Amino acid sequence: MDAVVRRGLVIGLLAGVANVHVSLVGLLISLQTRQLVAGIVTLGSALPLLIALLAGYLAGRYRSAHGEPAPGGRILLAGALAGLVSGGIAALLVVFITQVNVSWIFVNASARLVSGLHFDQDMLVGSVILVVASTLAGLLGAALHVLPRHIARALSIGLIVTLVFALMEPFLGAILRNLGMGAVDRFLFSGGGLTQVGAVIVLAASVAITWAWRTRGAAVTSRRLEAMKPDQRRTAKLVAYAAIAVLLLLLPQIVGQRLSEVLTVVGIYVLLGLGLNIVVGFAGLLDLGYVAFYAVGAYTTAVLTSPSSPLFSPELSFWAALPFVIIAAALIGLMVGTPVLRLRGDYLAIVTLGFGEIARIIFLSEWAKPVVGGAQGILSIPAPLPFERDPQSIYYPILIFCVIAALGAVSLANSRVGRAWNAMREDESVAEATGVSTVKYKLLAFGLGAAFGCLSGALFAAKIGTIFPNSFDILVSINALALIILGGMGNIFGVVLGAAVLVGLPELLREFSEYRLLIYGAVLVVMMILRPEGLLPSRTRRAELHEREDEEEQFDDEAGVDTARPLVST
Amino acid sequence: MPQRRIRLNFVNIFLWLLGGGLIAIAVVGAILTLSQGRFSVEAFQSFLIAGIALGSVYALIALGYTLVYGILFMINFAHGEVFMWGAFTAFFAATALSDIGMMESNPILAMLLVLLTAMLVSMVIAVLLERIAYRPLRGAPRLVPLITAIGASLFLQYTARGFYGSGVRAYPTSGLFEGTLALGPVTLSVKQAVVIGAALFLMVALYLFIERTRTGRAMRAVAEDKDVAAMMGINVDRIIVTTFAIGGLLAGAAGILYIQIFNQVHFFMGFLPGIKAFTAAVLGGIGNVIGAAIGGLTLGILEQLGPNLLLSGYGIPAPNQLKDVIAFSVLVLVLIFRPNGILGRKENV
Repeated sequence: MDAVVRRGLVIGLLAGVANVHVSLVGLLISLQTRQLVAGIVTLGSALPLLIALLAGYLAGRYRSAHGEPAPGGRILLAGALAGLVSGGIAALLVVFITQVNVSWIFVNASARLVSGLHFDQDMLVGSVILVVASTLAGLLGAALHVLPRHIARALSIGLIVTLVFALMEPFLGAILRNLGMGAVDRFLFSGGGLTQVGAVIVLAASVAITWAWRTRGAAVTSRRLEAMKPDQRRTAKLVAYAAIAVLLLLLPQIVGQRLSEVLTVVGIYVLLGLGLNIVVGFAGLLDLGYVAFYAVGAYTTAVLTSPSSPLFSPELSFWAALPFVIIAAALIGLMVGTPVLRLRGDYLAIVTLGFGEIARIIFLSEWAKPVVGGAQGILSIPAPLPFERDPQSIYYPILIFCVIAALGAVSLANSRVGRAWNAMREDESVAEATGVSTVKYKLLAFGLGAAFGCLSGALFAAKIGTIFPNSFDILVSINALALIILGGMGNIFGVVLGAAVLVGLPELLREFSEYRLLIYGAVLVVMMILRPEGLLPSRTRRAELHEREDEEEQFDDEAGVDTARPLVST
Repeated sequence: MPQRRIRLNFVNIFLWLLGGGLIAIAVVGAILTLSQGRFSVEAFQSFLIAGIALGSVYALIALGYTLVYGILFMINFAHGEVFMWGAFTAFFAATALSDIGMMESNPILAMLLVLLTAMLVSMVIAVLLERIAYRPLRGAPRLVPLITAIGASLFLQYTARGFYGSGVRAYPTSGLFEGTLALGPVTLSVKQAVVIGAALFLMVALYLFIERTRTGRAMRAVAEDKDVAAMMGINVDRIIVTTFAIGGLLAGAAGILYIQIFNQVHFFMGFLPGIKAFTAAVLGGIGNVIGAAIGGLTLGILEQLGPNLLLSGYGIPAPNQLKDVIAFSVLVLVLIFRPNGILGRKENV
């Protein structure tokens, strides 16, 4: 058996395991409710095929030891094999759960899973369809390597765009309806996915556009950009920023009530991410208890503004409470920051995690109940604006704080402070030796991080109106961490992108929301292995994270020495 | 060794105030509680024994952290989840065996089977974790594997949630470990005795394994210096896998012992014991096997005894709600004042 075929089999096996995982974990059943192309395929049923497609693609990416691709026929064979094995394992899973009663262990091993994997056909027909379709999907995936490059690209982008359009139906449909184009909406979308005609149109259009762009558009645009004079380029940049600003201002009106709600959630997480980004991305202090700041901000606002705090309720307005929130932030930043000043890396992470849990437990306890309300939480927190609490208006204060925070973060990053943080992150001892006061800059990072976190918490409390201690568990910290890692540590746009993808998408695609933490976990692992600098990395960060690889190539033996460095210093 | 100069700056002052304040609160609380006579001697005795039982479970998990940390200098954040999977496996195995009646007809063999499956599954998960999530990242900056570990932890947690459901499942009670034992003046339940005995047995076995066998010696060598060990002909990769496997076995055993105490399984059950076991490992001196055992016991006892002894004197309502605060405060205090733990090696300071 040659290496290409073996690779196909191994990848097929892994894809099969992935199939079993998504089936038993319940993702497949939950996505059954979601039409991809109306009346033809649901997202749940398409999932094994998408996995097979990916498996075929990966199997076809074979390079020999000399860096040469395999001959086309073998690539296709490997892809088809990968798809076949992957689909075959899924079919075996169906046989297994229909023959053996395992539903007392695996809650999702049910008849719904079987019908989902079998495209609602009966046993024999269903499994044949599953295996054949998986094989074809694998073949298609491998074919992307064999076809001429521009055809393959147009095809893959077309497929991706169609999938994205189908998935984004709640978003795109709402926008279309809001803009008075309900007819277009009804023509393209139906029941949570594309209509059959819509699918064909979107696929054809995206393939055609990709094709045209490749031959004409890309070249023209880059030539025009190069031909511009510096001041013209600056104007173009300004125009682009102005367009973004206008778009941001109009966004809630364009997308309507429900999506504005999603936008506010994303905005709160952007703020949270910007703050955590200062602590983790700029200063390199992995804070897993970031939720403590968020909780303190929310509770300070709630106690000061709400009439329902049992012991102490001055009933200030949101804006009058804001200075106190900032003071609370500074205090909590010092409280958390000072004890951990001397800890490095992973110890710091665990201790801050401990702080986060301490905060939640205290807010939950009987002991603190007279002030913060215990498990019942605090109710009827007033909205930050004089008029009613609706997401379209609450979006604006959140936007303002996000913009201020983003501008602040950018200017900090490019200042003396930012450079000190850089130095500290790269090597604390060297930074200390060159005169950077690590105590000062660490506390500054914690203080600023706390300020952003507390603000975010304050907005959360004002937005939602009622807070409970259990809204402030470790998962908020993980959420914020995952979004800055996906987006790219140290980069503002990365934070926005990360928040949009990790917080916004699950709100839009309700079917995923139950599995978001599962997906976050996978995202964290995969990102760290494949692209630790994130999707939109800052340049320094990227260089740092790949430095080691360059070094390793040069001095193969010395690469491991650094890992033995003691971690805690006193 | 030169004297460490103690600088008088505001950070030190803050830390001393914090530490001194916490210790003062604890001492005053203990005196208040004792003087008010809230608990009888028997009550303290039972807190102590429950603490030892819980602490020996923590110790077993802590060993997994310590072994891995000793070799790779990384916190295997997902270790609590390995423990949780062990507990789930034990639960399913016990349910299956009690359904076919083996729990009643041959309880000892049934329990051994349950123990074996739980330990094996945990071992497999720990080894897979190393292979998939950690090995590709060896030599990466230190935060990278930690973040991966957090991701892996979430993934394992929510996989369990998806597979087994989000509810709490009650462990089938068998008549096997009912009743109480009297050891001189001390009475403890049979369950507690079994938990303590089994944990003790495993810890001694591990100690002997590390000190007396060839593989154990190789593990110590790799912990000392990976590169030199590799030059001496030790297969470092295999030793690392072995370490994860041993950690997994112990975590699986901890899982089944834990459900003997608490009688239920839940997908989130690995999180707190995981963090606490890490605290125990740090408390004892991370990288140190005996230290992990001592740290685990100390933490277990503190957790059971602490809220009642230290806090109830102040008249704080429901002090047991704050027991995790005590555990985390211990972690913070240890890391600040004695980061190398009770038995930590000096040269790391």
